[in-house]
Amino acid sequence: MNLLITPLSIQSTAAFVSLLGAMLVVGVVLFLVITSSDYEDKASAKAKVYRMRDKYFIGLALTILIVLITSLGMLPYPKFQKTADMDVTVVAMQWSWKMGQGTIPADQDLVAYDGKNEITLPANKLINFKVTSADVNHNFAVYNSKGTLITQTQAMPKYYNNLQYLFTEKGDYEVICLEYCGLPHAYMVAKIHIE
Amino acid sequence: MIQVDIAEKQQHKKLFVTWSITFLILFPVLITLGFLMRAKQGQLIDISMNKFYSFMTLHGLGMAGVLFSIAIASLYYLIGTRYARLSIKTGYFAYYFIVIGVVGLVIGTLIGEFGAGWYMLYPLPFKGAYWTEWSIGMSFFSILILGVAWLIQCLHILIELSRNYGGFKNMIGWQYFSKNSPVKELPSIVLISTISLLASVFAVLAGAVMDILFLMQYFEPSLELDPLMMKNIIFFFGHTIVNATMYLGIAWLYALLPEFTKRDWKVTKLVVIAWNCTFFFILFAYFHHLYMDFVQPMSLQYIGQFASYFSSIPATAVTMFGVIGQFYRSKTRWSMVPTMFLLGVAGWAIGGFAAVVDSTITINKVLHNTLWVPAHFHTYMLMGIVLIIFAFLYYISANENTDNDIKPGLSFWVFMGGSYGFLLMFYLGGLYSIPRRFSDYAGIDTSAVRETGTTLAQIAAFSVLILLIALLSMYVKLIKRLFHSLKTITV
Repeated sequence: MNLLITPLSIQSTAAFVSLLGAMLVVGVVLFLVITSSDYEDKASAKAKVYRMRDKYFIGLALTILIVLITSLGMLPYPKFQKTADMDVTVVAMQWSWKMGQGTIPADQDLVAYDGKNEITLPANKLINFKVTSADVNHNFAVYNSKGTLITQTQAMPKYYNNLQYLFTEKGDYEVICLEYCGLPHAYMVAKIHIE
Repeated sequence: MIQVDIAEKQQHKKLFVTWSITFLILFPVLITLGFLMRAKQGQLIDISMNKFYSFMTLHGLGMAGVLFSIAIASLYYLIGTRYARLSIKTGYFAYYFIVIGVVGLVIGTLIGEFGAGWYMLYPLPFKGAYWTEWSIGMSFFSILILGVAWLIQCLHILIELSRNYGGFKNMIGWQYFSKNSPVKELPSIVLISTISLLASVFAVLAGAVMDILFLMQYFEPSLELDPLMMKNIIFFFGHTIVNATMYLGIAWLYALLPEFTKRDWKVTKLVVIAWNCTFFFILFAYFHHLYMDFVQPMSLQYIGQFASYFSSIPATAVTMFGVIGQFYRSKTRWSMVPTMFLLGVAGWAIGGFAAVVDSTITINKVLHNTLWVPAHFHTYMLMGIVLIIFAFLYYISANENTDNDIKPGLSFWVFMGGSYGFLLMFYLGGLYSIPRRFSDYAGIDTSAVRETGTTLAQIAAFSVLILLIALLSMYVKLIKRLFHSLKTITV
C-alpha cells in the first residue's frame, strides 16, 4: 500500500477539518465523563451550559455564513464556466468510455458513436468535456498519475453535463467510473494522455 | 401520559420483544454481508460479481429498512404505553407485512441476484444485464409492501397522538407561540416524533411513487422515464428515510435520558423552533446528492448546501447542547443506556460533521462517490442510531428501571473499537480517492488507488470481524434479559 501519496489539498483539508471536528466531539465526551463524578444543582449546571451555547450559536452561525460566502463563488456549474479552448465528447456506455474531440449532433446515435477509450489532449488548454451516457447513469471521474481524484461529473442518459478542466501537468490520467452501473462497473476505465 | 393496564402493556411488550428478536437476528446477518464485501475487495475471499452486488443491494436496503423499522417499533412501544393508545393489531399487521417484504427482498437478491444497489438509479434496474427478470419485479413489490407497512404505522401513531395532544398544530409546538399559554404540555418525544414521522410519511410516499414508476416500467418496457427526475425522487426518498431514522431515535433520547440524569428536558420555544426548522432541512438537504449533475438547476444546488449547513444548527446548538446540559455534573451512573446515548450522539456528531464537509460543493467534487460517503453515513448509522437503538433495547431489558441497567462490559468496548477501526478505513479510503461500490480494485490501472483500496479493505474486513464477534457476545445476556423482562412487567 502506498499511503505516502499526497492527496490534493481539497481532500487533505476535508480530512483535517473532519478530524478537528471528531477531536472536539471526543473532547466534549471526555469532559462530560470526567465532570460527571461531581454534582451541581441542575439549574446552575444548565445555566452554565446554555451560556456556552449562546456563544457557540453565534460562532457557528458566523462560520457557516463565511464558509458559504467563500465556497459558493467557484462552482463547477455552467454559470461559472468560461469559453473553452477545446470540446471533447464523452459517451459512457456499459462498460467502456468513448471519447473524441469536438461536439456531436443532437440526434447522434450514441451507441454508434465512434469514440475511443483513450485520448490525447494538450496541456494548459481549457478542455470542455461534454459528458453523456448511452444507457444508464455513470460517473466520469478523472484521476491523476498519483491516484488522486481531481474532478468528476455524472454521465446521465438524455443529458449532457459540461465539465471544464485545465490540465497543467503532462502525463497519464485515468478515467474511472464512479457511479455504480452494473456488474463490471469496477472495470470501466479509460486513459487520457496530456502532452 | 396515559394509563395502561398490565394486560395491555404485556401485549405491547410481546410485540416489541418480537421486533427486538427479529432485529437482533437480521442485524448481524446484514453485517456479515458487509464483511463479505470488504473481504472480497481486500482479495481475502473470492465471490462472483453477481454475488457481490446482490449482497451490496441486500445490505443497503436491509440495513436502511431494518433500522427504520426497529426505530418505529421502539416508538410504537413507548408511545403506546405512555402517550397514546395504539392498536396491537395494527402493530402485528405491520410486523408481518414487513417480514413478508424482507423475505421478498432476500429471495429477490440472494436467489434472483437482483443487484441494482439500495439507491437504484433509473434505468439501471432494467439494464443491469445480469440479474434475473423476475427478481426485478419481486424486489419492487417487496419494497412496496414495506412502504405500505411503514405508512400505516406512521399515520396510526400520528393520528392517535393528534387525538391526545389537541391536534396537529399543537403537536408541532405552535401552541407555544400563541398568546394563551399552551393548552396541554407537550412532551418532547411527541414533538420530535411528529416531526420525524411526518418527514417519514413524505419519504415513504416519494418511495411509493418511485416504486410504482419502476413497476410501470417493469410491466411496460417501452415506457421512458426522465433519469434526472427519477434521481431526485430516489434521493429524496433514501436521504429522508435515513435521516428520519436518526431523528426517531432522538425522540426517545429526549424522553429517556432525563430518567438517568434526573434532570428534566422540556419543550421550550427554542426546542420548537429547532425542530420545525429541522423538518425543512430534512426535506431539502437531499439535493446535495445531485451536486455532480451539472444540469440540475443551480438554485437547487444552492439549496442543497444551505440546508445541509444550516441543519447543523438545531442538531448541535439545541439537541447536542441539550445532551451536554443533561450530563454535565449530573453524577450520572455510567450504565449501559446513558453510555450508549452519549456515545450515540457523539457518533451522530462525528458522522454529521463529515457529512456537512462533503456537502460543500467544491469539496464534493473530489469526494463524491469515494469511500468518504460510506464513511460518514456508516458513522452516524453504526456509531449513532444503532447505539441509540441498542440503548433502547437495554432500557427495555432492564424493565424500564434505571437501577436495573447493567454496566458496559469488555464486549461493548471491543465492539466500539472494532467499529471505529472499520470506519477509519472508509475515511482513509475517501482521503485517498478510493471509489465506493467496487467489487474489487483489480481493474484500476493506477497502482496507488488499486493497492491502497485493497489494503484498506483487508483491515476493514478484520475490524468488522472483531465488531461482529463482540456484538454477538453481548447478545447472550441481552436476549436473556429481554425475555426475562416479559415476565416481570410492572405498570
